[in-house]
Amino acid sequence: MPATPSSDKKSDLNRRDFLSLLSKTLIAVSGMLGLGGVLRFFTAPAEEPPQTRFDLGPAVNYPMGSRTFINREQAVILHSPQGFLALSTVCPHLGCLVNPDQDGFACPCHGSRYDKNGKVMRGPSKQDLNELRLEENPSGELIIYTD
Amino acid sequence: MNRLWITLASVSLLVALLAAAWTYARSPQPVALTPSLTGQTEYCLTCHGDLPEISSSHPVNIFGCVSCHGGERLALDADLAHSTMRGGRNPSGLTVVKASCGGDLCHSGVPSEDRDHIQRVLTSLQSTYAGAISQVLYTYGAQPDLTARYGIFALQAEQISSSNSLSSLTTFDPGSFSNAPILNFAENCLNCHLSSDPLPGEVYARFSGCAACHTPTSGEDLNQEFHQLTTAIPYNQCDTCHNRGNYDLREMEFRPRNDQPEDRLHDYYQPIAQFTQCEWELDCVDCHTRKEAMGDGNLYSNQGQVEYVRCYTCHGTLNQPPLTRTITDPNDIALRQAFLNPVVDLQQGDNILVTEKDEPLWNIRQQPDGSFELVAKVNGTKYPLPLVTGSACKQKPDQQESKYCHACHAVER
Repeated sequence: MPATPSSDKKSDLNRRDFLSLLSKTLIAVSGMLGLGGVLRFFTAPAEEPPQTRFDLGPAVNYPMGSRTFINREQAVILHSPQGFLALSTVCPHLGCLVNPDQDGFACPCHGSRYDKNGKVMRGPSKQDLNELRLEENPSGELIIYTD
Repeated sequence: MNRLWITLASVSLLVALLAAAWTYARSPQPVALTPSLTGQTEYCLTCHGDLPEISSSHPVNIFGCVSCHGGERLALDADLAHSTMRGGRNPSGLTVVKASCGGDLCHSGVPSEDRDHIQRVLTSLQSTYAGAISQVLYTYGAQPDLTARYGIFALQAEQISSSNSLSSLTTFDPGSFSNAPILNFAENCLNCHLSSDPLPGEVYARFSGCAACHTPTSGEDLNQEFHQLTTAIPYNQCDTCHNRGNYDLREMEFRPRNDQPEDRLHDYYQPIAQFTQCEWELDCVDCHTRKEAMGDGNLYSNQGQVEYVRCYTCHGTLNQPPLTRTITDPNDIALRQAFLNPVVDLQQGDNILVTEKDEPLWNIRQQPDGSFELVAKVNGTKYPLPLVTGSACKQKPDQQESKYCHACHAVER
């Protein structure tokens, strides 16, 4: 009777080959993990520069005599007979956001007061509220620049 | 052999990478804050987001944490994050306060703008303890008079605007004295200055530096979290040092009060001397001014040389009404003080009391009918202010010390 492959024939993978395969697998996995870490480090998304140009919508939304706080831009838009004026609502003293009051603006942190046009009336701030660049584009929309 | 080493190295590398990934996954999700004052992101709120705002003048989104506390702003490991904090949990200790609270626009600016808080506090007797030291040295023959020569730390006066002010103080070094009472004094009695730790016990509970007064802790366990700064300082915060006992000058030991006060009248002061209603019903800060308590920039030998509010400061005399000032300058310090503790809606045009050194008692304002009203700084209680001027008071013009007023107006205890 011809010899047939025995069902209990041992695997071709001997101990030496098994260890070799294991070590290669470990090295490959470690290498891939390490490479993945390095790639992740170098491909981390860079922080986007803060937006400094904002479209405030149609100028007609800011009627004559209005005082409109734009919270996201930390600004207030004033519309007077002299035209539009944009002021930063950041107090020049230490950076708190001013609130509107009957005379103009008041800093809730240290009590600086500004008149309706942002001129300093009372310290500790020594500076007026910063004026921001404001443009009206040809389609009648206000654009504010906070940089 | 090489293969074995390579296998071991690769296993080690794999384990290390897995450990790093596990640690990363377990670390807290960072909570970033970029305070507008510094523009530098910090991660302190990752663990400390539940702390209350320390005061309305120091909002966390403006100041952040690191401006005042120091620390490693980007660290997520607690030990690393706290490793470079100033003053541990109290950045207002006098050794670090300039770095923590100073700055031209903050608390170490120029005197003309009343921003020299730190410079003044360093000169105050509560910091130097020069009065107690000179008293003891004089008593035990170590110096010929009561003029102070030593302080808790050496200090050169930046200003001399009083006839009593000193040019400098030398560090009090007990090792340079051999007299036993002086050594005992140094050992047992240096517990109540602004650089010292408090005595054990909740009635003495206070921090050091600015927080000793401005962070109310009296009666509390100091191990809990405190995150508050206020100018509305209750009397019992002052009592953590004052009125809690006496120093026995023979034994040079602190003797705690042994009475058991059951109401505020008896809690306020030790069972000695006489006091009028305003002296115990109000809080200390209602009458004692900031330069009196925090120093005026001069180095003094004792508190007696510092201006005290006297009875007549508020009540006047038979011939002289109390001194007043109408607020005309929008930058009047009185307006700033009232803003920080708005128990009074003080306005330009208001008439307030002032001391003989023109320090405002901004919480005492003249009413439309000409009378004066005091508003308590801690709880806002309003008190009409009786004047001696125009009253039936029998005082003699040259008898203005409090003992003469107490003769008729002391409260029965």
